[in-house]
Amino acid sequence: MPQRDVWERSPVRVFERAIAGGLGRGQIGVALSRAGVGKTAFLIGLALDALLHGRKVLHISTQESVEAVRRFYDQLFNALADDLQLEDRAQKLLELERNRHILAYNRKSFSLEKLEQSVGFLRQAAHFEPSFVIMDGTPRFEQTEEWEMQGVQRLAREWDAEVWTSSLVHREGQQCDGRGIPLEVTRFEAYVSVVVLLDSQADHVRVRILKDHDRRDVADLRLELDPSTLLLRWR
Amino acid sequence: MPRDIHKIRNLGISAHIDSGKTTLTERILYYTKRIHAMHEVKGKDGVGAVMDSMELERERGITIQSAATSCEWDGHHLNLIDTPGHVDFTIEVERALRVLDGAVLVLCAVAGVQSQSITVDRQMRRYNVPRLAFVNKCDRSGANPMRVTEQLREKLRHNAVMLQIPLGLEAQHDGIIDLIRMRACRFLGEHGERMVWEEIPAPLRHEAEARREVMLDAAAIFSDELTEAVLEDRVTEEMIWAALRKGTLDREITPVFLGSAYKNRGVQLLLDGVVRLLPDPTEVVNEARDLADEDERLFPLSNLATDPLVAHAFKLEDGAYGQLTYVRLYQGKLEKGDTLFNSRTGKRVKVGRLGRMHSSQMEDITEAESGDIVALFGVDCASGDTFTGGKRISLTSMHVPEPVVSLAVTAADNKSENNLAKALQRFTKEDPTFRVETDPETGDTLIKGMGELHLEVYLERIRREFGAVVEAGQPKVAYRETITRAVTFDYTHRKQTGGSGQYAKIQGRIEPLAGADFEFKSLVTGGSIPTEYIPACEKGFRAMLPRGPYVGYPVQGVKVLVEDGNFHPVDSSDMAFQAAARGAFRQVYPQGRPIVLEPVMLVSVEGPSQYQGEIMGTLMQRRGIVVGTTEDEGFVRIDADVPLAEMFGYATVLRSGTQGKAEFTMEFARYAPAPAAVCAELEKRWAEKRAAGEH
Repeated sequence: MPQRDVWERSPVRVFERAIAGGLGRGQIGVALSRAGVGKTAFLIGLALDALLHGRKVLHISTQESVEAVRRFYDQLFNALADDLQLEDRAQKLLELERNRHILAYNRKSFSLEKLEQSVGFLRQAAHFEPSFVIMDGTPRFEQTEEWEMQGVQRLAREWDAEVWTSSLVHREGQQCDGRGIPLEVTRFEAYVSVVVLLDSQADHVRVRILKDHDRRDVADLRLELDPSTLLLRWR
Repeated sequence: MPRDIHKIRNLGISAHIDSGKTTLTERILYYTKRIHAMHEVKGKDGVGAVMDSMELERERGITIQSAATSCEWDGHHLNLIDTPGHVDFTIEVERALRVLDGAVLVLCAVAGVQSQSITVDRQMRRYNVPRLAFVNKCDRSGANPMRVTEQLREKLRHNAVMLQIPLGLEAQHDGIIDLIRMRACRFLGEHGERMVWEEIPAPLRHEAEARREVMLDAAAIFSDELTEAVLEDRVTEEMIWAALRKGTLDREITPVFLGSAYKNRGVQLLLDGVVRLLPDPTEVVNEARDLADEDERLFPLSNLATDPLVAHAFKLEDGAYGQLTYVRLYQGKLEKGDTLFNSRTGKRVKVGRLGRMHSSQMEDITEAESGDIVALFGVDCASGDTFTGGKRISLTSMHVPEPVVSLAVTAADNKSENNLAKALQRFTKEDPTFRVETDPETGDTLIKGMGELHLEVYLERIRREFGAVVEAGQPKVAYRETITRAVTFDYTHRKQTGGSGQYAKIQGRIEPLAGADFEFKSLVTGGSIPTEYIPACEKGFRAMLPRGPYVGYPVQGVKVLVEDGNFHPVDSSDMAFQAAARGAFRQVYPQGRPIVLEPVMLVSVEGPSQYQGEIMGTLMQRRGIVVGTTEDEGFVRIDADVPLAEMFGYATVLRSGTQGKAEFTMEFARYAPAPAAVCAELEKRWAEKRAAGEH
């Protein structure tokens, strides 16, 4: 099967089309879910798609080690490769790893300055210019302040990259706005372009768009996470 | 007297070079009255520490080979397995990890968790080994055990719990405050052998209480009894130990001890911890394979002395006592004069003499039981063999990686030639990752191993221990080749030259196979190829593997499916089907888009943050794929996949690029596609060789 076809049929395309062609460079998206539902898997799924398009991906984690994040990618890549019946798997994985960098921090020692500095080294020494960035575990919306969100926005624009972050929703006791977005996130409405909720149902995880740039009515997606592979799939 | 299995502790001491592992081992042997004088590693007094039994190690100040030594503490028998500190000798470390039930991870209070500690820790995790940590060198300037504990949590993701706090640090380091007893301990006497317990000094009281609370919180998770007792304020020492033990055995917590082995502080308390917290042999599940069973099923070993014997030879040593084989008994009993069955070779061997090593002194014993580690004299076997009473059982095969680098060695004269042969024979028995081959083209002797340093150490040993004058060639990388897409074959082998002819026809597919070297499957039905010829087909395909048609390197990662074929009642034979398989392979392999695979190492470089750019640069120049960066308190660790071919001489480059402030470790990761330039070069060379009629 010609490669282009494969990408065209990818559920990620559907997702992107639903949010006006994608998050957009220089903009910030948030994936919401309860603990353990699959925020990281969802984001890595998007990252893998970007990587298979030859884009450069920077994955920042304040919770997991480099090794653990890498294993996560390997796992999802293998599932995806099985799904797509990819040829030249080893070669593809090699290319993909060349275009991906994982940055791990202790939550305590993380700061935007350090991040900026590390990315500076990456651009200089490795000519690594990321266009798709995952910030997993940071900023923490419950605690963050305006200046930090401003900082993330500035970096997104400077790098000219799509930046995806994540935030937890709680089972109860959390206040949300009319769209179902927790107020911790709504506070920073001005900085966030897209909000996606991974809604865990009895036997699957439904992907719902809660905010799509400035559009009034957001698309109702027929996508979900496959519970066994954690990949995005049709409902 | 056999030992009570519940009072045996088989433990390893694992550490980064220079964190003082050998000194610690020395002190342990001293306090357990196994040695009567202490020496330093780098041998100021020319004697050297006892555990470093090899001259080379003594010189380099590092411990390369794992030696097992026994001692007693508090009514318990400890078997210390000294795991090597250098990751290039991974198989040595892994072999030691297989036989130990628990481990002490030694860390330097100044340097903390270094890249090598991370590699060693990763290996221990793979073998599910419960660990204690010992933060050594608290007397050094810059010592900060709290920071090291924090690093254990952050860098190694251990739930590290301090059971002690220091009584002073650096030059003032004077002893330990035990948070379980809530007493301070000083170590008096020339060698710290006299422990004096006293009240906790008032200025440290508050901190001790706060840290004890943290420790109790961590321990209480593993014991409802302790949780209640904490609430009712009636905690006993026994309750704490029991809870900590549960947490340690579940590998949910890592208790942290501290002190200074060099200054004789804290070692006895660590030994108490070993006895109280680490598992006895019955608390660890070990499995073996039943080779008599068709599926080679795994079954758990019982640890019972009354069951048939299963013992694992994990280390060979040739020294003052002749050929020694260290074995760990997993069940059954071993007596002097017994006859053992080696399930790999099928041979029987007699145990003429049985002993226990106490560092370099041997104690003769007459019997040993399950759980113990003992040495057999003069038994011919290879390391990794399983001995039983007669059953064909094998302990879970230890993962033995294929060697990735080779170099040619030539002896200068006849005498050296002889000694070289002796040395090579010995090393191949001792170390399964060390191989010897003859280069079919040049006739040179090739030695193969897991890295440059790995082979260098053996070259040194050849020169020193065996007195052979040898020259070594440049290290070479062991390439492989494979196909990247499935191809179908339909091949007829036919020969008619008077007399009986040869005829065989086979049809099927050859596919890329991930994660294994070779697989053969017959899907033939209806007897189009008679069953008796199927093994001949497999043999024919296998015959093609050592020298691939693409560039002449070993083929890996292919699956052959034979689906159909034809035969002739008179002209078909084993030979004919083998020839057909070879012909089919040769014919269609080039259509499978063959590529060259090269060994890729996982390289971890650690150094001060300001060198991040330089470190990255050195890795990028070596075709490295920088996988990730971990930042932590001014230090940065960069993980990269780098082709082994580019790593020769890296140590020097890194040192000069970072003023000696960065260090690296590497481990074989996998075989990965080599770049087009390498493929083209190898293809050209292979074509030339073939044109020259060599093959």
